[in-house]
Amino acid sequence: MSAIVYHLKSALSRVFPVILAVLMPVLVQAQPAVDTLPMKALTTNSSGNLLVLRESGLTVIENGIATGMSLPPSDSDAKPASLAKGADGSIYLAGPGLGVWRYDGAGERWQSLNNTLPNLGVTAMAAHATQPETLYAYLEEGGMFRSRDGGAKWVKVDNGPEEPVQAFLHSDMPGSMESGWLFAGTTRGVARSMDCFCFWGDAGDLRGTVSAISYDPAAPENIYAVVEGQLHHSADGGETWISLTVPQDVTALAFSPVQGLVVGTASGDLLAPSADGKWSPVHD
Amino acid sequence: MPLVQMANGRLSMTKLIGLLVLLVVPALAGASGGSVSAFSAPPEVAQGRQIYEQYCAACHGGQGEGATAWKKPDEKGEIPPPPHDETGHTWRHNDGMLFKMIAEGWRHPFNKSDRLTMPAFGESLSDQEIGAVIEYLKTLWTDEQLEYQATESQ
Repeated sequence: MSAIVYHLKSALSRVFPVILAVLMPVLVQAQPAVDTLPMKALTTNSSGNLLVLRESGLTVIENGIATGMSLPPSDSDAKPASLAKGADGSIYLAGPGLGVWRYDGAGERWQSLNNTLPNLGVTAMAAHATQPETLYAYLEEGGMFRSRDGGAKWVKVDNGPEEPVQAFLHSDMPGSMESGWLFAGTTRGVARSMDCFCFWGDAGDLRGTVSAISYDPAAPENIYAVVEGQLHHSADGGETWISLTVPQDVTALAFSPVQGLVVGTASGDLLAPSADGKWSPVHD
Repeated sequence: MPLVQMANGRLSMTKLIGLLVLLVVPALAGASGGSVSAFSAPPEVAQGRQIYEQYCAACHGGQGEGATAWKKPDEKGEIPPPPHDETGHTWRHNDGMLFKMIAEGWRHPFNKSDRLTMPAFGESLSDQEIGAVIEYLKTLWTDEQLEYQATESQ
């Protein structure tokens, strides 16, 4: 009996370090989706899982488990600020000092799209709702840039709205002269232009600094914008807005194919509204 | 004093006609009201200008300057006619889109009325005439805008 116990202990002592070495990286990265740092940006990946950007980094949440994702290599003063999902499901990350990057899922690495941008001061970016190769970037010192080849070549299209852009969205809402609409959250409210960049005008009379903007792809007239922590909704393409009551200050927005509208909060929570209008944590 | 005598009586009739042409042509071109001289414009552009003046100028202005406050809805909640010159956004559209808008018209989705913001001219103008109008509009743009629009049209 003692021989059996001895052999068992001996085997375990040899196997345990191997198991630990295999599981440790996974255990370190995968954690319950609890993080109290404010959310900076949200989007979903091609599987419908939420991607969350916080000061602490980028995570993907699958079945309530948050797994860390690497960030692009950058200088220490780079500030990841903007997430977007392309029409083909590609994930984009942008920010001041960072420029624009696309996540290469196969290679599990970030690919720089900054070769032809004049500088890395991208404060907001958007991906075209239906054209996978068309991207938009707003540079604080440079204005509006568009790429129609997936970021290989960027061309300046205009200066953008009069006020600096903090959040950016392309929508396939009908009625455009071209292929859709651009909504820019500025320090004055929401500006709107057809994607021909014909003219930036006010989208209604919502005023204040817009920190996040999103829309419902299934009902594109529905736009959501966050002004100083308060969530607002327009059901008519930005003509009129009403404020929505959320139990916490909202800092990020996304439309999930699973949960619909999801908000990230200043307390680090992910909330979604139920049919009766009550907000509850997404992964409970 | 007769002009011929002013020139010490040495000005031949041929030279006089040449001088008159030099004096009068720029004045005529200036009086035509645009950047396109009736004497230098290709025939299609001249035709386009004529059609523009007949069908478009009443709303978009004789020089393509558009309505004064075109960036904001008017008292009826309709978007006023924009400029077609370098201050507007016509140059941002490719040839196909410009043709479609002239032929089929277009309604701005945020207009408060149901009528077309831009009337359709497909019944009034032939395809060639619409093309001529577009060629005329291009004479109102800067070189950079022409280059941008040419790229958009590729």
